[in-house]
Amino acid sequence: MHTLDEMWRVRNAAAVTMGLTEDQMRRAVRAASIDEIVALIETFAPARSSGTEWTRTFEPLVERLWSWCDDATMAALADVFRARGMPWLGVANALSSENGSTIRADIRHPAGARLPAFTLV
Amino acid sequence: MVLFQGGPATVDRLREEIQGVFYREATNTFCRLVTQEDRPLKSMIKEAIAAAAPYVQVPSHLMRLPTGEMRGVNYDHTILGWRGAISLMRELGDARGVLPSVQAMWYVPQGLNVWEQVICEFPGHYARDGEQCNRKFPGPDEHENRFDGPAWNPPKIYFADHAPILGGSVDERLDRMSWAIAEGDKVDAYGLFLGLAQDPANRKRLKDAILFSGIIDLQDTIINRGGYQNIGHKALRARALVDIADYLGWDNSHELMYTVVPDLACSPHLHGLWTEISNICRMEIPDHASFQNRSDRPLTERELDILTEALLWGGPAEVNSTIMAFFKRGAGILDIGDGVVVAFQKYIMDVLEHPNAFLHPTHALDTMNVIMTWCREFDNPHRVKGIFMGARFMNDTVRSNAMAPRDPQSRLEPRAKFRAWADGIAVDRILPVLKEHLLAQDAPRSCALVDSYLERTPERHHLLDTITYAACHWQNDPHVMRNCSSSVEEYRHNRTSRKDDIIRGYAKHQARYVKRAQTHDCFNVYVDHFKPGNI
Repeated sequence: MHTLDEMWRVRNAAAVTMGLTEDQMRRAVRAASIDEIVALIETFAPARSSGTEWTRTFEPLVERLWSWCDDATMAALADVFRARGMPWLGVANALSSENGSTIRADIRHPAGARLPAFTLV
Repeated sequence: MVLFQGGPATVDRLREEIQGVFYREATNTFCRLVTQEDRPLKSMIKEAIAAAAPYVQVPSHLMRLPTGEMRGVNYDHTILGWRGAISLMRELGDARGVLPSVQAMWYVPQGLNVWEQVICEFPGHYARDGEQCNRKFPGPDEHENRFDGPAWNPPKIYFADHAPILGGSVDERLDRMSWAIAEGDKVDAYGLFLGLAQDPANRKRLKDAILFSGIIDLQDTIINRGGYQNIGHKALRARALVDIADYLGWDNSHELMYTVVPDLACSPHLHGLWTEISNICRMEIPDHASFQNRSDRPLTERELDILTEALLWGGPAEVNSTIMAFFKRGAGILDIGDGVVVAFQKYIMDVLEHPNAFLHPTHALDTMNVIMTWCREFDNPHRVKGIFMGARFMNDTVRSNAMAPRDPQSRLEPRAKFRAWADGIAVDRILPVLKEHLLAQDAPRSCALVDSYLERTPERHHLLDTITYAACHWQNDPHVMRNCSSSVEEYRHNRTSRKDDIIRGYAKHQARYVKRAQTHDCFNVYVDHFKPGNI
């Protein structure tokens, strides 16, 4: 039987690992070209996705893109997918400035937290 | 809308209007036959089924394209509308109970000759809506959609009626019929069914056999499969046959059998999932044929949570493993089936948002309803496998929907946001308000009203009635009646503590599922003729 303080230590260790991973991802996204981010987003197409577990991480990715990328990058990404028509409409809507405003308004950075409080993991 | 009112209402006229795709006129004639000519509703339903019967078969449910690729060909839905209507007749009662039958009638002329519809050579629902044929092949008047009817050609007959096949023992003929269905021999399947159906002593076994044949023909996945699936239509069709024959009387159901049985043998035949489930059951629970429907150890709350997690967020192996563990620890077949039904409601209630995304999951729910009914009514040794089949179909539709990134424009506001508003409405005023919001397709408020009602009163009958009657306002879609029937039936039978979730899922579905028409022309025809007191 684990004690509560042991379980909390394990949880904290997992959070530190997650935080380091988020930092790495943030640096990688900021260093990436538009084409590289487009290539990442393309892996979420139903015909390309490795499975539902991968596709279900699309929303968390979009939330991070809106946190880490500038408006020009996001507008360029939205243009790429909107130009592809109906099959990519949901993705284009996720990259739209309206959705970005909603996401950015929902994300907080609590004073005591190392990272923003992303709403989706 | 202008209805053609002149001349007497006759069965011959009804038949001509159905086959000519005059759906508004046919519905008007159907209503006049019942209200003005005093023809029994049951008799008119039989006549409508008979008029459509020769024209609902297709050569295959796969069509080879000139490119060499294949596309799916839709399954007949006319008979599914009647099955739902007959079931809801008892639920709604009196004049209100006729509405689903009028809706079924409205759809019938739009659902003939599906093969020709998908290639834009015959009018109807598929040609007009799904295929958008008028854009590809417009008529002289660009403002008129010629694929709304009437027909310019007579509908085609792809499978002529046949004589019964007699002779041989009942066991032998049932075996031959089941094999003919699985192998795609329509002539033998249909002829043997007709022969067996003649003797009332055979009918219980025949019902079991035809349901079994439908249930085991189910795709293993719809993910990226296009038309190579049946989304439960073989089982749904078999259930329609059994229910409608019981309603019309088996000796009065020849055209119904002609409508249903040949298509059960129509290609493609999808027995991969059945084979997988048969293998794992043989390996893990070889004595499963002796398992009982109910046990004194139904699923615990914790087990319902585990099942929900597997069904909504797990993969096929997790679904198999979770259900197998419940069987191995001694839970009953219906105990687990009830759990599957309520667990799936969490998906409808909390996850589904886009109106189009309801289509496959609710086919899975309706298929699970067929399986549960079969388990409840027949002592078939394969019932355990049916529960796996239904759960796997549900899980697959969840996963299929999850393969496309979520569109934020389909996002729904949380139902909880409107809970205080709903709680502020007197409980005896909630149902009329709920009806308004269902008709307005306002899912968050509808669901908040249902949540509030469920917690404030033990009354359920009028709540179900309100959702069902509101749902049946929407035309052109037999799925609506079928899902109403499944939801109400499963609610009545479910023994879990979470059975109210079936009503929550039902309301969400009916307040959000994509509608095929935004007008209520059919409902207005019904009101004109049947004058229900409370509309």
